[in-house]
Amino acid sequence: MCYNGGMDSEVSDILAAARELKMPLATLRQLALMLGEMSTDNERIRAEMVGVSERAIQQVNDLMRLSKLEDGLFEMEPVGVRAVCGEVTREIAELFNKGELMVEYRNRTSVVTANYELLASVVRGFLANAAASASDKVRLTVRDAGGKVEIAVRDRGPALPMEVWREIRKGRGAAQGPVAMRPGASRLALYTASRFSRYMHAEVGAVRHRDGTSFYVRLPRSEQRSFF
Amino acid sequence: MIYVVDSDPIMAECVARACGGCDVRIMTDAVAAVQALAEGVPDLIFLEIMLVGPDGFTLLNELVSYEDTAKVPVVIVTGLDLAGRDLSDYGVVKVLDKSKMKPADIRWCVERFTGVKEEISA
Repeated sequence: MCYNGGMDSEVSDILAAARELKMPLATLRQLALMLGEMSTDNERIRAEMVGVSERAIQQVNDLMRLSKLEDGLFEMEPVGVRAVCGEVTREIAELFNKGELMVEYRNRTSVVTANYELLASVVRGFLANAAASASDKVRLTVRDAGGKVEIAVRDRGPALPMEVWREIRKGRGAAQGPVAMRPGASRLALYTASRFSRYMHAEVGAVRHRDGTSFYVRLPRSEQRSFF
Repeated sequence: MIYVVDSDPIMAECVARACGGCDVRIMTDAVAAVQALAEGVPDLIFLEIMLVGPDGFTLLNELVSYEDTAKVPVVIVTGLDLAGRDLSDYGVVKVLDKSKMKPADIRWCVERFTGVKEEISA
């Protein structure tokens, strides 16, 4: 699959902007943490400030990873799916109230061919988006799908228009604002997830439901025996 | 005495506050840090690599060039990705990622590398 040339120059512009944004966000996060050290008042607001800045930093980091894709700097290797999902869900659990995030492993195949860092970003992006509109439980499911392993995130936020999703899958529409009807959710996270998945020769997609959407990534299973 | 060298004064203050009751001096560039070293050698330096003017590596080179400053432990506090780089020859004992670190990480470094636990908990 070839990349759009115009997109690459757009990516380098975005990368420059991302580098500029990262440090102010890191400073904002430190201020919020410092505030918490000084006083226990307004703990919820402080936690929100830390959470918002951390999610923004994560997106900036993902944008910076995009430039490394062009240079082929991410090695493909056998990756334990449970290790990735476990790490990301622990890391992101603060975004969910207790019991809102459910993880279900139905897979027999435990090792896929992927890049650990990129796969973690894809799962994190799906979950962060789901968290932004989590009015009910969010479910992460890992299952075998043909010769592949599927990681799917089911959220019950307002549905993503299919034409928007098609544009994102084609690698377009990264910087056109938040996902329609989903304030707080990010089209950017889906865009980077799509690019990372393509790099890993994984299939990324979405299934629309009456009460929300499932985003999934299907990864080729590794032929290497699992030692996990 | 602890030196914090960072061109972002707000971030520098965050690091300095996290040092608790320790005696901390903030410098916003490498030149000011070199001048301060002439007045006294610190117990620990928190250093950002990206500085206005000469960068953090310039200061690290300066530190290892002199016997009295070569053994000062340096903690890099940066947004740069320094993964996989061994900076121990420069006296770097720890690298903290600005976008992930917490005040407790700063305190841990102070306790670990200067041994001034009592002042911090006071």
